[in-house]
Amino acid sequence: MSLARALRLVGKGPERHALQTGEVDAVIDTANGNVLLLPEAKRALSAAGGEPANGLLAALPSRDYLHLLGEFELVPLALGQVLYQPGERIRHVYFPNDAVVSLLVVLELKALEVCLVGREGMVGVPLALGVERASARAMVGGGGTALRMKAAGFRAELERCIPLQRELQRYAHAKLLLARQSAGCSRFHQVEERLAYWLLMAHDRMGVSGMQVTHELLADMLGVRRVGVTNAAGNLQRRGLIKYHRGDIRVLDRRGLEAAACSCYRIVKTLAG
Amino acid sequence: MRLRLYVAGGAPNSVLAIANLAALCRKHLQVNFKLEIIDVLKFPRRALADGVLVTPHLAKLSPAPAARIVGNLSDSGSVRLALGIAT
Repeated sequence: MSLARALRLVGKGPERHALQTGEVDAVIDTANGNVLLLPEAKRALSAAGGEPANGLLAALPSRDYLHLLGEFELVPLALGQVLYQPGERIRHVYFPNDAVVSLLVVLELKALEVCLVGREGMVGVPLALGVERASARAMVGGGGTALRMKAAGFRAELERCIPLQRELQRYAHAKLLLARQSAGCSRFHQVEERLAYWLLMAHDRMGVSGMQVTHELLADMLGVRRVGVTNAAGNLQRRGLIKYHRGDIRVLDRRGLEAAACSCYRIVKTLAG
Repeated sequence: MRLRLYVAGGAPNSVLAIANLAALCRKHLQVNFKLEIIDVLKFPRRALADGVLVTPHLAKLSPAPAARIVGNLSDSGSVRLALGIAT
């Protein structure tokens, strides 16, 4: 529904002012009781199919979800932004909407990605397991937004909300499986198939075919030299599976990319969803 | 204090309104309030029956005088004023 129509529906009064300052999500048509969403709200909700964008939150009963919303703030996450360093106290947990966060183990000066968190999960799992400090570096691998909650609020909600406990236990188990798989993958699989695997995981988590990520960041994430990523991305592009231009990667042929990825993608998908 | 907040699911202004209101209640009302959140996408009839024209919409039901505030409640000063909460 357009702003002009919304303004016509509400007439004068404080509703009009709130509409003009962009603080309204929906207008109720008093003629028929229909709820009409404004374009911005419609975009935000339809990106998530009308449900919470984050999968863990979408799995909760709506009563619990609405209660939790009171503890959240919606924050933008910028590419390359570091949310935690290893050993740091976890101040917030993050439930990504369309952002993707990479968890990296840091050894000497090098970093290797062990896990990718997107709209299927949460950043700050140690807190759900009773550990207050981060064990990995959490760095934004794909910019977007997330719902953020303070650590103290999260602990209190976790104690109160059994469905949230259940979802996070299931998620932590899936992450454990993923970490095991990653250990083998980084030791035995080639850069090109690992890059294809990473792109598929990111594609699943972001829900869009295009993503902003530099070769440098990819090299860090895969624990290889930059030239290795450049060659691998070049090969995938020549095979018509992706399009890469100045940090913008687009998946062109998802099936082809699945065939090009190492077996880890299929295994992780089967075991952990 | 009894409050009722009408929201449109997880739409951005609704999320913001809930967060702003929760922060305000924690800071100024502690345990002395009851908040009901109504998602008009799930219960559209409630909004119509209660005369709600837009979301987010906060209604103060008691104590008197009743009050209503529309928008994402970012201006905590005017929200406190409308609810009659002293600084």
